[in-house]
Amino acid sequence: MTIHRVIRHVQRYQGWVGGGAGLCLAVGLYLGLLGSPPDYYQGEVVRIMYIHVPLAHTALLGYTVLAGGSVWYLWKRDPIVDNMCHAVAALSACFTALALLTGMIWGKPTWDTWWTWDARLTSFTVLLLILLGYLMVRTMVDDLEKEARYGAVLAILGFVDLPIIHFSVEWWRTLHQPQSISLRGVSIASGLLAPLVVMSIGMSLLFSYMLMIRTQLLYLNRLLDAKKGRLLHQFHVSKADS
Amino acid sequence: MAPFRTIRWMVWKDLVIELRSRETIASMVFFALIVILIFSFSFSMDQQAAHDVLAGMIWVAFAFTGMIGLGRSFSAELQNDCLEALQMAPVSRGALYLGKVAANFAFMFVVELLLFPMFVILFNVDIVEDLSLLLVVFFLATAGLAAVGTLFSALTVHIRAREVMLPILLLPMVVPVMIAAVEATKGALNGDPVSFYRPWLELLAIFDVVFTIVSFWMFDFVMDA
Repeated sequence: MTIHRVIRHVQRYQGWVGGGAGLCLAVGLYLGLLGSPPDYYQGEVVRIMYIHVPLAHTALLGYTVLAGGSVWYLWKRDPIVDNMCHAVAALSACFTALALLTGMIWGKPTWDTWWTWDARLTSFTVLLLILLGYLMVRTMVDDLEKEARYGAVLAILGFVDLPIIHFSVEWWRTLHQPQSISLRGVSIASGLLAPLVVMSIGMSLLFSYMLMIRTQLLYLNRLLDAKKGRLLHQFHVSKADS
Repeated sequence: MAPFRTIRWMVWKDLVIELRSRETIASMVFFALIVILIFSFSFSMDQQAAHDVLAGMIWVAFAFTGMIGLGRSFSAELQNDCLEALQMAPVSRGALYLGKVAANFAFMFVVELLLFPMFVILFNVDIVEDLSLLLVVFFLATAGLAAVGTLFSALTVHIRAREVMLPILLLPMVVPVMIAAVEATKGALNGDPVSFYRPWLELLAIFDVVFTIVSFWMFDFVMDA
C-alpha cells in the first residue's frame, strides 16, 4: 500500500503554509497590539477584535470546507477526503469555541455582560453544538465506511441549516454590532483594517497548516490500523497452518 | 404509481402496528403529562404568567415527546430484522423516507392535538376562540420536526447510544423550527393578526420544503447497509 499522493503533496508544501501562518500572525499581532491606534469609543479593548474576528471567519470557512468535502466524499468515496473532513470538523469546533470565548471576553467590557442571547452568539453556539454532535457520532460507529458516510450526511444537513439558523435568530433578536466588512463595503478605519486583514489571512493559514498535519495523522493512523489488521490476520492464518 | 403505493403501505404498516400495540402514542402522551407536571411545580404561575410562557412550554413538551416517537420509529424496526428487510426491499428509498415521515408526522400531530387542550385546562389560560391558525402553526412546525427527525432516526439507529444521540443531533438542527414555532404560537394564541407573525410561518414553510428535499436525497446514503 502506497502513501496517498495527496499526502505527498501536503508533506511537500506544509512547511510553507506553516511559515506563512507564523509570519502573518507575527506581523498581524504587531500591527494589532502596537502599530494600530486604539478605538475612539472602545479604547484599547478593541484589540481583542484582531483575534476574535479572524477566529470566527476561519471557523465559518472551515465549516464550508467541511460541507464541500462531505459532498465530495459521498460522490467519490475517497477515504482521504473523509480524513480531511474529520480533521476540519475538529479544528472548526476548536475555532468556534475560541471565537465564542474571545467574544465573551470582549463582551464583558463593551456590553457589560459575559453572555447575552444575541443573534450571532446564538447561531455560533448552535454551530458549535452541531459540530460537537458530528464529532460524537464519529466516535460511535463501528464501521469506518459508515462513520464517514453518516458524518458526511450530518455535515451537509448542518450546512444547509446554517443560513436558516442565522436568519431565524437574526429576526428573533439582535444586539451584536453589525459586521464591519461585508460585500457592500468596509465600515472601519483603515488603521484598524490592516491588522485585521493580516490576522485573518494568518489565521486561515494556521488553520490550513493544522488541517494538513491532522489529516496526515488520521490517514496514517488508519493505514497503520489496516497494516496491523493484516499482520494479525497473517499471524492467525500461519498459526492455523502449523 | 409505485412510489405512492410504497408510501401508503409504509404509513399503513406503521399505523397498524401502532393501533395494535399502542406503544408509541401512549408513551408520548404519558411523557408529556409528566412534563406538564414538572412545569407546574417548577414555576409557580398565576394566570397571566402562564399565558406569557404557554407557547414556550408547549413547544418544549412537543419537542421532547416528538423525540420519543421519532426514536421509536426506526429502533422498532430492529426487531426481527425488519430494518434489513426495508433495506433490501425493491422499492425506492425516497418513498420509504416519505412514508416514515408521514407516519411520524401523524403520530406527533395526534399527540399534539391531545396535549394542547390539557395545557390550556391545566394551566387555566384564556385563549382565543379561533384556533385554525394555531393548527397551521402546529402543522408546519411538526412537518419540519418530522422531516429532519425521520432522517436522524434512521441514522442514529445504526450507531451506539442511539437514544441519547437522536436528541443531541436533532435539537440543534431544529433550532429555527423551535424559534419560529414558539413565536408563531404566541401570536396565534394572542389572536394577533396574521401579518404579525407571517414571517415565522414562511420560515417554517421554507424549512419544511428545504429539509424534506435534502433529507429525501440523503436518506439513500443513510439506508445503505
